[in-house]
Amino acid sequence: MNKLMRGVLDMKKVLAMITTLALSASLLAGCGTNDNTEGSSGDASNEKVTLSVWGMGEEAKTLPKIAEQFTAENPNIEIKVQALPWDQGHEKLLTAIASKKGPDVVQMGTSWIPEFADAGALADLAPYVEQYPELKQEHFYDGAVEAGTYEDKYVSVPWYVETRVLYYRTDLLKEAGYDQAPQNWEELSDAAQKLAARGDGKYGMSIDPKEQSLGFMFARQNGAEWFTPDGQPDFANDKFVEAVEYINSFYQNGSAPKDLGLDIIPAFKEGILPMFISGPWMIKLIQDQAADIDGKWSMAVLPKKENNTSLLGGSNLSIFEYSKNKDAAAKFVAYMSKAETQLKWMEFTSSLPAATAAWEDESLKNNEFYKVIGEQLNAAVPMPVITAWSQISQSYVKHFEVIYRNNVDVKKELEALNAEAVKFMK
Amino acid sequence: MKSFLNKRAPYIFIAPTLLLLILFSIVPIAVALVISFTDMDLGGLANMDRVGFIGFDNYAEVIQDPVFHKAIYNTLFYVVIGVPLVILFSLGIALLINLGTSRIFKVFRVVYYLPSVTNIVAVAVVWSYLYNPALGLFNYMLNSVGLPDVPWLTEPTVAKLSLILLALWKAIGLNMIIFIAALQGIPRSYYEAAQLDGANTWQQVTLITVPMLRFAIFFVSITTMIGWLQFFEEPFVMTDGGPLDGTLSVSLFIYQNGFQFNNFGYAAAGSFVLFICIIAVTLVQLRLQKNETDMT
Repeated sequence: MNKLMRGVLDMKKVLAMITTLALSASLLAGCGTNDNTEGSSGDASNEKVTLSVWGMGEEAKTLPKIAEQFTAENPNIEIKVQALPWDQGHEKLLTAIASKKGPDVVQMGTSWIPEFADAGALADLAPYVEQYPELKQEHFYDGAVEAGTYEDKYVSVPWYVETRVLYYRTDLLKEAGYDQAPQNWEELSDAAQKLAARGDGKYGMSIDPKEQSLGFMFARQNGAEWFTPDGQPDFANDKFVEAVEYINSFYQNGSAPKDLGLDIIPAFKEGILPMFISGPWMIKLIQDQAADIDGKWSMAVLPKKENNTSLLGGSNLSIFEYSKNKDAAAKFVAYMSKAETQLKWMEFTSSLPAATAAWEDESLKNNEFYKVIGEQLNAAVPMPVITAWSQISQSYVKHFEVIYRNNVDVKKELEALNAEAVKFMK
Repeated sequence: MKSFLNKRAPYIFIAPTLLLLILFSIVPIAVALVISFTDMDLGGLANMDRVGFIGFDNYAEVIQDPVFHKAIYNTLFYVVIGVPLVILFSLGIALLINLGTSRIFKVFRVVYYLPSVTNIVAVAVVWSYLYNPALGLFNYMLNSVGLPDVPWLTEPTVAKLSLILLALWKAIGLNMIIFIAALQGIPRSYYEAAQLDGANTWQQVTLITVPMLRFAIFFVSITTMIGWLQFFEEPFVMTDGGPLDGTLSVSLFIYQNGFQFNNFGYAAAGSFVLFICIIAVTLVQLRLQKNETDMT
């Protein structure tokens, strides 16, 4: 009978998937983690307050270290950090919104901001700027500020930033006749083909086809706009098509693998994939996992076509709209956005500060790798801050899969994408 | 007084189960039904004022959605190929283990049951290494006997079959146990009588064992079919529906629309289409079974 029971449970699981959310509001709130918003309310001046902070991913496990230092300065405010994996964080937040009970401060991946801001889950930070000048938007990289603003409302303060740059094997590129990183699209394609010609099982460059924003980034480099002046999606214009054709050419001429099944670090180490585009977190990973190739690899800003625009991602901090400790939360968020806190955070986790002042610090200025990132940050844009974006970018991944696997007409496929995007945005 | 208690007792015993069933199954299904007629999204979750009733729009849209069609096709593919294989293999293995008298067969029972109790995520990690195009054991073995690589998870049809293989491996154990239990319920006297009449082992299996297992087979086929119509974990952890939506199942489609794109109304409509399909299939099976028992 076990099986029957499981069958019933399974059925319930799928059917009720949607509704558990709504239900959890009233029924399961108690099963949620630590919703300690009750009790301590009021102003943060002298009353004792416990703030609940939700951090995401691996780095959030380090968050208590910073929180301790904050509590040392503000003995009235205690911080309880909860570290959630990224994929669970999203679902947890949905539940928090449905039940209107959740964290006081929450880490927001930049791509999440539009949907949660639209749902009214992120408090307006503008009222706190006067009291905490470190929250002023002029202190941060423009792109990060843009990502944290939804419909002119300041909903999240930049915390750390990342941008994509080119990683390459200096030794292998030298053999292919490149003393420095490829400077433009032709050189990149040429270098990749020369590297792929080294023999069977060797490739020129890794392009992750599941990366949702790559096509948009290359399109921007080719001078394409993502939207028409009246705000309609414009993903099938000639420049956009040209950019996607350019990416596709790497798969079709064999310089990028379609299905390799190897992680990027070992493949980079073995020289199977001597170039790839990724973010700053790779620095530490390569240093840790591929120490043998120390000195044989480097980083460069992206090769340019009309420009070399990269993506700007990272994380912001927001105050949860339903928090009862907004004043204390603002104090904590302000503390986190100080340049010196962000530098300390970089020491712990190697995430890069969003506050431009931090980049004046010696530790960043003199590091050859961080210097490249810093330079690329000046030409980095976030993905559009609209709610339909997660769906549009998923849809792009699907259409691009058809393109590179079946080598179909790019223009037609992108027109289909554009039609879907129009539907998602209405 | 006594008869009153006797009448009451069964209800008191099933009350806790009934209560749980209502709270966690019936009520959510009802709420999902309501949601399926609305345009509820993340904004609506936070603020009920933003939820509007849109009648059957979600249903009209979802049954025209080409991705949903693909998901239905894939799900049918899983069911049509997977369910008979599960029954065949679990019944076959149960028969063989039951025939064996040596102690080693007890060990085999555990061996075959182990996959069912192993966590799916751990299983998926191991199997994705087996299927890996560069490092995978399967391709390595094929290559070492001179055969070319198989695109295990990178070609839509092959990927579906690969997931079926994994799910089959995982599903055999539990159904095997059900069959073994049923096998041991067949009175020995039938076999003794058959042996006296000179029936060989094959005749005993086909003429006594399998007919006597009819109810167990029916039970396993109905639960397996319901399970496979809701095929979810394997594509969710192994392929995320790819390549080219080749492994996307209806349940995964519902999940993606609900939890990744926040289209709760749309996802609820999709889940009701699935719900109706499952009910229909189950009713047909029940009717068939009833006809069969009427005949005997």
